[in-house]
Amino acid sequence: MPTSSFKIRLFSVLKSKLKVASIELKTTEEITAGGLMDLACEQYPPMAPYRSIMRLAVNQKYVQDSNRLQDGDEIAIITPVSGG
Amino acid sequence: MAENSNQRWINLLQEPVDITSAYRFLQTPAAGGISIFVGTTRQWTDGQETISLAYESYEPMALKEMHRLVDLAENHWPVHRTCLLHRLGKVPIAEASVLIGVATPHRPEAFKASRFLIDQLKIQVPIWKRELFSDGQEIWIQGANLPDPPNS
Repeated sequence: MPTSSFKIRLFSVLKSKLKVASIELKTTEEITAGGLMDLACEQYPPMAPYRSIMRLAVNQKYVQDSNRLQDGDEIAIITPVSGG
Repeated sequence: MAENSNQRWINLLQEPVDITSAYRFLQTPAAGGISIFVGTTRQWTDGQETISLAYESYEPMALKEMHRLVDLAENHWPVHRTCLLHRLGKVPIAEASVLIGVATPHRPEAFKASRFLIDQLKIQVPIWKRELFSDGQEIWIQGANLPDPPNS
């Protein structure tokens, strides 16, 4: 199984905690949206306290945690928004 | 222009929200009511004073979500014109950060569509607010709800 690499955009509180606007994760297995967020929290522990309030956006649409990811997807982790 | 051709003005702005332009855009002979809601930046929240306020956004997705919400509103109510504008970057106290405008044949659906759009915008559209308080604290504000995937 080839390695998949996902660039994940960060915003708001996660961007501030990690001091970067994106992170890159590699996986050799098929992965779901929830799996990718779990992996992100393992590799970047400052994200872990926010795990329960994360939603993944894939190709600029929110997805369920069970959604499978494809190589090349545009990915962002979204915490509860506060526009308005 | 045909009466049933809906029009929308959706944008993220770096400059102040121009309420007069929004009103002009919303005017149409098909409408008997125009509702404009303007969200503004508040100085005091539960005894805490806000000094300044700034918004950031995942812009391409924010625009898509705003369009999706207008699609939903148009499916529910006879909305002839819709205007959704959100300002980004620093917004001084008391200025407009968001404008929701709808033009409908009668007022009940104008209020309903407008209420739907602002409530959903505050849950779904990836825009975040950072507040600097007078005690020196600077924090990202988090909404109460996680955004929902469509059709869930």
